[in-house]
Amino acid sequence: MKVSVSWLKEFVEITREPRQLASDLTMIGLNVEALVAAGGDWVLDLEVTTNRPDCLNHYGVARELATRERLPLKKVEVSLKESGELAARAVSIEILDSDLCARYCGRVLRNVQVGPSPDWLVKRLEAVGQRSINNVADATNYVLMELGHPLHAFDLARLKQQKIIVRRAKPGEPLRTLDGVTRTLTRENLVIADGAYPVALAGVMGGEESEIAVSTRNVLLESAWFDPVSIRRTSKAQGLHTEASHRFERGADIQMAPLALDRAAALIQKTAGGEVLTGIVDVYPRPWQPRELTLTKLEIARLLGTEIPEPEVERILRGLGFKFVGGTRESWRVSVPSFRLDVSQEVDLVEEVARHVGYDRLPARVRPAPPRVEKDTTREKVITVSSLLASLGFHEMIASSMVDPVEGEEFSNSQPVLLANPLSQDASALRTSAIPGMLRAIRWNLDRGAVDVKLFELGKTYSIVNGAPEEHCVLSLGTTGHRRPASVYDGEAELSFFDLKGDLETVLGTFEAPEWEFEPTAHTYLQPGASGRLRTRGEELVVFGLIQEDLAREYKLRRPVWTAEINFGRLLEFPLRARKFQAISKFPAVERDFSLVVPDNVAYALLAAAIAGAATEELRSFRPVDRFRGGAIPAGHYSLLLRATFQSQAHTLTSEEIASLSQHLLDALEPLGVRLRG
Amino acid sequence: MTIDQKVHTTLAELSIADAAGVEAAFTEVRAAMQAERDALLARGAASEAEREKLCKDLRDRWLARKNGILSALDENWLKAAKKELKPFVGKSFNALRQESATLETLALMMDVPLRALPESPRGIPDAGSPSSVAVQVSRETPSDLTFPGNRRPLGTLHPVTQMQREIEEIFLNLGFHIESGPEIESVYYNFDALNIPESHPSRDDWDTLYIDSKTVLRTHTSPVQIRAMEKYSAPLHIIIPGKCYRHDNPDASHSPMFHQIEGLSIAADVTFADLKGTLDFFAKRLFGEKIRTRFQPSFFPFTEPSGEVSISCIFCGGEGCRVCKESGWIEVMGCGMVHPQVLRNGGIDPKKYSGWAFGLGVDRFAMLKYDINDIQLFFQSDVRFLEQF
Repeated sequence: MKVSVSWLKEFVEITREPRQLASDLTMIGLNVEALVAAGGDWVLDLEVTTNRPDCLNHYGVARELATRERLPLKKVEVSLKESGELAARAVSIEILDSDLCARYCGRVLRNVQVGPSPDWLVKRLEAVGQRSINNVADATNYVLMELGHPLHAFDLARLKQQKIIVRRAKPGEPLRTLDGVTRTLTRENLVIADGAYPVALAGVMGGEESEIAVSTRNVLLESAWFDPVSIRRTSKAQGLHTEASHRFERGADIQMAPLALDRAAALIQKTAGGEVLTGIVDVYPRPWQPRELTLTKLEIARLLGTEIPEPEVERILRGLGFKFVGGTRESWRVSVPSFRLDVSQEVDLVEEVARHVGYDRLPARVRPAPPRVEKDTTREKVITVSSLLASLGFHEMIASSMVDPVEGEEFSNSQPVLLANPLSQDASALRTSAIPGMLRAIRWNLDRGAVDVKLFELGKTYSIVNGAPEEHCVLSLGTTGHRRPASVYDGEAELSFFDLKGDLETVLGTFEAPEWEFEPTAHTYLQPGASGRLRTRGEELVVFGLIQEDLAREYKLRRPVWTAEINFGRLLEFPLRARKFQAISKFPAVERDFSLVVPDNVAYALLAAAIAGAATEELRSFRPVDRFRGGAIPAGHYSLLLRATFQSQAHTLTSEEIASLSQHLLDALEPLGVRLRG
Repeated sequence: MTIDQKVHTTLAELSIADAAGVEAAFTEVRAAMQAERDALLARGAASEAEREKLCKDLRDRWLARKNGILSALDENWLKAAKKELKPFVGKSFNALRQESATLETLALMMDVPLRALPESPRGIPDAGSPSSVAVQVSRETPSDLTFPGNRRPLGTLHPVTQMQREIEEIFLNLGFHIESGPEIESVYYNFDALNIPESHPSRDDWDTLYIDSKTVLRTHTSPVQIRAMEKYSAPLHIIIPGKCYRHDNPDASHSPMFHQIEGLSIAADVTFADLKGTLDFFAKRLFGEKIRTRFQPSFFPFTEPSGEVSISCIFCGGEGCRVCKESGWIEVMGCGMVHPQVLRNGGIDPKKYSGWAFGLGVDRFAMLKYDINDIQLFFQSDVRFLEQF
């Protein structure tokens, strides 16, 4: 909303510098977005919030300023010369649907000379961003900018039977509006009709048929009040947002209707000549009832944390147009002006007081909330996992939740949640999998010269389950390149399946999760033989592996890419691993290496399970250290170097004991056909 | 004089009268012990019996209570030492005794019966002696110690996550707790319960992405206000971080997906002063003690009175610059006293309780804090961007 400082000065004698004025307005809630000097005048661009239609004009802004600067607000002066004939004889006005139109005022002007507006008027309109049309239309626009009440001018000669009927449109009734669009109306739309057809979309836009033209001699000026909800519905349904609908849908001032009419009529008389017929035709089926509210002194203090001196409260509310109509020692009875439809409760009055006292003058205090005993375990888990991943070299990323619905098909069987009004096809569904976004992120980096990329994302996927949308927490990992880059210290080593598996084991190892088992099969988007899943109690917790070749090509990935999807929502249900001290044996631990010959068909997991199944207390740990084929190793077998650690809590193990423990371990492997290398 | 002779002689007789002398003497003994131990390891044993005997002999020679070298040292060097030398002798003696523990486990290192792969590494008990450290130094290590350290690549947390955590910490310290809610939200929670009826133009302040006529992608974290009121009632002190969505075309300052943090504090005696004080404290904790805050009236359907918080420009200190558009102030968040109707919608009696709330954009805060000029950078996953945080 553009406001001219010189225009404001017609209603309040401001002496403040424009810059100071802008700051003052901002501090009472009329945020000044720009201040521009224009031909000896200053124009303020105000951000008027949707609750304040009364400030969508100069007079309303002047009222706020007058209250703020403690200056008087001048009355709107109208000097109008009426001539003999009664307007009511020249036109008849009828409201059929008074639920949607509470008041309709009309004035008739005769023998006007439609033509260009004088310079001062054109300049003023242009200063506030309005284009000049002709002296009649400009007068209505001028009043709109000045007093905020939307008016409309009809060519009276074009109104059949010199009649105005305010009614709901008939279904399918056509109306060609001023923008040249022929609109098909419904019962939802309120129209202004003449004796036969609609001539305007009430409160939104006039019709082309009755538009003021150079040939127009007689004018009917309309100043009405329409129901905000109805105007909003019509404006939305017709996709037509105008200066008039903008104000009516926010709530116009019903009591302003006659004054605005007079102001416009006087202006037309001045710039286009003609005579103004006597009287206003004022059809007012639902007269305004002033709303009365009680404001208690206690409530001001309860909400603002301080008492405001009574004279200050009264000065502010009076300045803003409220009337004091009664009260007690503890409270005021306040009558709300017709232009403040937003003020409907006591708290709204408190805000008015707070605004004009100035938020910066209100006290401040900081008090902590009562401390809580409960620990935020979810946050603790999230921080643990993400910090761990960062330590493992993964960068956290955030990808868009909105994707192309087809992209998820290769990664998930879930039914995507579709948007009704997406920004684009690329962002018309919520992702069912985080992997496509991960692949795009890796490609983005590979395309920009990166070689080693490790990314993770902690986010959500979305799907329709049993007809209702659901959100799932997922942790996704993506890696490509080397385990470590080449340096003077180490040669470079390509990432392998086991690097990712190891990182996943590290992450899962921070949780008190039940034993998980590995299964070497995974989704089709992963390469068979280089992928798998981790399950716990038969439930899938992780799917990971190498991206399948065709997909890698489709995503234009120049290098092998490994990904993992972790059902994070499920993981969060497990507690973090409890830290419990295990007594450290005072006696030395002994490591023994076993050089084993293992048949190819015996999986390491099987071998490990056999050892674990027969484990003695002294077998503290075991791990594979090396493996190789060929040489003296028979075909269909490989050699595995297994390193076991033995230790007793009770004594130093003797050589005999170690020999016996070693034999026990070998015995457990024998049924699998695993033997010591000869 | 051999070591054996020396340890049976007192320090005085050896003409050792200062700390340096003591140290040199112990160094000699330590070297002898290591040499004997290493010699034994190098030699190896043909059988278990031989190994046991060799190890026992060495152990006895050094550690035996009677006539062991350490016992002799205790008698002749430590106990007989002059008072002023005793602390030095005691210290060196203790170090030597600790080191001698390696003799205890010597047998375990010496013999690996299944030594099929001679080059495989063997368990080395932590001897802590200089010689064993020397063995571990790789041949490939450049002798030029000015080469850079061998760093392992570290990952990073996303700047938005870091900013979110930092904000959370401040409010957690104030006794708030963290709540969350769904991103796919009903029109009721996202709008109606927050006093934003379909029939009012204020609904248009949020460019909404719809799933259907009753379901939206939440346009703000505010719906969780109502959900939390329903769940916990009053008093209530929470912050709500999360993703939000708007029908905004992406550009340098807009993203259809972004992050918000909502704060809500409801209690019997909460006033506008708490709102001002807490948010001022928050801004100072986050951006620095010198930051000033400014509160100006605004409008949100779910708060009354409503406000907008600006902070003094963190780049120019309030003098006026490009970032603050020469105003000296940067608008950072919306706030207000919870509207009585919103309290009622959450099942809380507005006569008994009052509350304040705020909402801020985490992405915008991160942009401010790290001087990032394009919000799109957050969602491109470019490692060159991410690794800076």
